[in-house]
Amino acid sequence: MTTSILEIRDLCVSYGKVEALHNANIRVGEGQIVTVIGPNGAGKTTMLSAIMGLLDSRGELDFDGKLRLAPEVEDMVAAGMNLVPEKRELFGEMSVQDNLLLGAFQRYRSGKRDQAETMEEVYGLFPRLKERREQMAGTLSGGERQMLAVGRALMAKPRLLMLDEPSLGLAPLIVREIFRIIAELRRRGVSILLVEQNARAALQVADYAYVLETGEISMEGPAQALADDPRVIEAYLGLGGKHQDMLAT
Amino acid sequence: MEALRIIQEEHQSLAAILHAVRFMLKEIKAGRLTPDFGLFKAMVHYLDAYPEKRHHPKEDDFLFARLKQRTDEGAEALARLEHDHTGGEGRIKALEAALLSYEGGEPDGLEITARAFDDFAEFYRNHMILEEREILPLARKHLTQEDWDAIDEAFRTEQDPMKGAAGEDFRAIFSRLVAAAPPPIGLGSGPYKG
Repeated sequence: MTTSILEIRDLCVSYGKVEALHNANIRVGEGQIVTVIGPNGAGKTTMLSAIMGLLDSRGELDFDGKLRLAPEVEDMVAAGMNLVPEKRELFGEMSVQDNLLLGAFQRYRSGKRDQAETMEEVYGLFPRLKERREQMAGTLSGGERQMLAVGRALMAKPRLLMLDEPSLGLAPLIVREIFRIIAELRRRGVSILLVEQNARAALQVADYAYVLETGEISMEGPAQALADDPRVIEAYLGLGGKHQDMLAT
Repeated sequence: MEALRIIQEEHQSLAAILHAVRFMLKEIKAGRLTPDFGLFKAMVHYLDAYPEKRHHPKEDDFLFARLKQRTDEGAEALARLEHDHTGGEGRIKALEAALLSYEGGEPDGLEITARAFDDFAEFYRNHMILEEREILPLARKHLTQEDWDAIDEAFRTEQDPMKGAAGEDFRAIFSRLVAAAPPPIGLGSGPYKG
């Protein structure tokens, strides 16, 4: 078993009286892609937000071997965790390059001066961003915006990258490319926690998977085993698949 | 069952390319896009080199062969899939001929090309449905762990799942196709540069 980079134990998040996440236990091994699949409203985004310190939560969170009680966003980024939110949350009136630089703000503030080198690495992964570096982020296409959001998170040189629905709203061709890049990030040593509704694509790229339903983890296992599990096939993969539907004439 | 993951991943890549081609043809028909023949040809090359020359032989040689040894169930579906696999060259030639007529300025060239890609997509849709709904479940049911070890090893060692036998890097080709395709289906840095 690989060393854990992230372990959450009995994580609970409530919105008022409603418990959106109940006793969730998740482990991400160093260098692994772990995915959390589940329907809309299952609590997937809530879970990532709580881990990142964007929401109050109860339970234990162990990141990089240290127990973090009541995590704060800045502390988590400094510790090597970053989140690409579902809505991308870019600064539309700023250039691609400036958006990227903002991603490195905390490293810069802590005295690190490797931003130019990191930016070249990001441009190496996303050559299109380099071509458009002077362009305002608000004018980018959906695929470019997703790439910029991932690139900005990478500027902080995270050891654990959390991705919230990276395929949302994107055309099939770009979705395939985004997942290729996610696999490439793993090869470069970044651990990934991936939340996705596109279960088929997520299970293909992941090493381990959890199914989150109505705020609780209902199943877990190696991603390939879950992909072959009749219950997952019936509920999340269907008999056919989106890739077949997109060929309908 | 790594082989099943690879097969389904390859189906998705193929479907994504076909979706992109047909989207572009629809936009051209509507007068919102000008054709990038370099991109169309590169996509046809991908459809030829990747599924026809690489994906299907792997299925025939490793997965289907083992399944036939284990059960007679699905024999009809397997025969149909294998028959489908033998027609690859003809299907690709039909796409190339249609594109050539379109590029050459034939009056119905766009219509002919759109129809050729629709036919190709329809063929693949039925092919994938048959494979994923009938054959892959049978494989899960009948193949032993020893079978899976051998099949997975063959799929893994044959080469990188996206590397071509002729040394083509399908990952790089795919990325170039994504980059050149117009938004919203691609990144819009076309025309395609091979």
